[in-house]
Amino acid sequence: MYSYIVRRLAFGLVTVFAVSVLVFVILRVLPGDPLVAIFGMEGFMKLSDAERANYMAQLGLSDPLWLQYFHWVRDIGSGNLGHSFFRAESVGEMISRRGPLTAEIAILSVVLSWIVGVPVAIVSALRPNSIAENFSRFLSILFLAVPGFWLGMLIVLGLLFAFGYRAPLAGASLFADPKANLQIVVGPAIVLGLGQAAYIARMARSSLLEVIREDYVRTARAKGLSGWPVIRRHALPNALLPVITLSGILLGFVLAGSVPVERAFGTPGLGYAMFTAVNERDIFVMQNLVLLYSVVFVLLNILVDLTIAWLDPRIRYQ
Amino acid sequence: MTATEPAAALALSPAAATTKPMWLWRVGRGLGTFARRSPLSAFWGCIAALIVVMALAAPVFAPYDPLKSDFRSMSKPPNERHVFGTDQIGRDVLSRVIYGSRASLTIALGAVMFGTTLGSFWGLASGFLGGRFDLISQRIIEFLQSFPDLILAMAIAMALGAGFGTVIVAIAITRIPFGGRVIRAIVLSLKELSYVEAARGVGASKMRVMLRHILPQCVAPYLILATTHLGVAIVIEAALGFLGVGIPPPTPTWGNMLADSLNAGLIPPWWLVLFPGAAITVTVLAFNLLGDGIRDILDPRLRGAV
Repeated sequence: MYSYIVRRLAFGLVTVFAVSVLVFVILRVLPGDPLVAIFGMEGFMKLSDAERANYMAQLGLSDPLWLQYFHWVRDIGSGNLGHSFFRAESVGEMISRRGPLTAEIAILSVVLSWIVGVPVAIVSALRPNSIAENFSRFLSILFLAVPGFWLGMLIVLGLLFAFGYRAPLAGASLFADPKANLQIVVGPAIVLGLGQAAYIARMARSSLLEVIREDYVRTARAKGLSGWPVIRRHALPNALLPVITLSGILLGFVLAGSVPVERAFGTPGLGYAMFTAVNERDIFVMQNLVLLYSVVFVLLNILVDLTIAWLDPRIRYQ
Repeated sequence: MTATEPAAALALSPAAATTKPMWLWRVGRGLGTFARRSPLSAFWGCIAALIVVMALAAPVFAPYDPLKSDFRSMSKPPNERHVFGTDQIGRDVLSRVIYGSRASLTIALGAVMFGTTLGSFWGLASGFLGGRFDLISQRIIEFLQSFPDLILAMAIAMALGAGFGTVIVAIAITRIPFGGRVIRAIVLSLKELSYVEAARGVGASKMRVMLRHILPQCVAPYLILATTHLGVAIVIEAALGFLGVGIPPPTPTWGNMLADSLNAGLIPPWWLVLFPGAAITVTVLAFNLLGDGIRDILDPRLRGAV
């Protein structure tokens, strides 16, 4: 087990390094002049060559690329995530203020996806061709096609029309103001949770269908156990292993989905900050946020892999 | 003149009469089988075809010019003159939704043709050749997959600047790893089959085995993958448009129409939200179910794999 953990972590480290290089290449090396982004095309045209060079030097953009990369990594290492072009707040402060909200949404949506997805999968695996099965199949196909951010906009509009209700727009922490906090978080969590639940239900169903045909399940039935305990004690634990892995992969779906969904709900989380950064062409903020999202994604997937290895000895000894 | 025409047609007939109708007949029979085996998918396939026709012939279907403002009717809810209503500067929403299908389908198709295809060939090569090439390819693919796909697309689209080409590239790059993984897994299992060994045994070169014996087996999974990716690409394109890094206005796309609706005021008018989103949903649904149907017909074993 320990050698597995060490191997997995070492590979994770390499991945994080590669990801940082990729982020750097995409946002700094690809064509597109950061000064155009800051001043706009017209403002850029009005600058003289000397001014341009001056600004580039100030931003550290005229150094050689490897040095720029080195400075960036050094800054992150010392906890300095830089400033936005347009706002006083530093990126570090922004992350610590907005991050918890997005984290809450992500966790809540994963929990929700399991609460909805697994029972649906059990029903549709055990009662094939029943009304419940067809209904759940229809829903899971539908939710694969509905864009989360559109569903979010519809929910916001529907609540406004029906009850004149709108979730508070100012950020509120879970501990200072739990009521306002929950109102903010619930909407995006439901939208993202249902989106994931569709995938989870599909996966859990097919994996459960495979497992209940196995010999050991028949043995459990043969020794006289009735239907439900067989499923709960014998079939489900094995059937849910691939679902855990899928849940890890779906975290990417949640992290990415949080950007348009938070925009749709007007949630003051990190996703919304990324939307703002993209629209303002704020490459320094964008660079650090993309890195943060990817590193979180990589780390959580390592965690999922380790959990699976802990639960399933077959993987540990491969 | 009239008398000679049938004769001329007869003289031409051996080629024309046997090849063309035969070909048509076979396609027709294939579609018939498809419709019988999975009527639901066939139905949604028809809808997908309708959407493609709508995009191609947008000027015919659209009642108004999608870019022209009618300042006498701005922000009007659906009525008999504007079935889907008008937006805040008086453009007809129905026409914009119809024209929006052009951007969505062009970009989705471009992204799949470029991304999924490149990924599939990469997967074919790395699965078949194995060794160090495979090892390095696998690592690169894993690195690409460690970005949540929309975020990678956002970063690339932002860096490259807005436009058709850049959005296609941004979405295509997120599709490469998926194509690569699926096709590689299939090639790995094909490689062990005895007909491949037989081909090698009679002295076929590596290139020949890969292109003549393995590649044809990858066509079915590729088609299935491509239809599924079409749906994904449409959603990503809409999200990019919604976030302001897709095709810039005034060109109508479903994504930037939804983004526009949020600029219409504190409370977006419902018809500006409902119709573009419904268009995305129906299109994605159509391609996904068509993909399911194609999978069931071409290769039922792939259920769950793709």
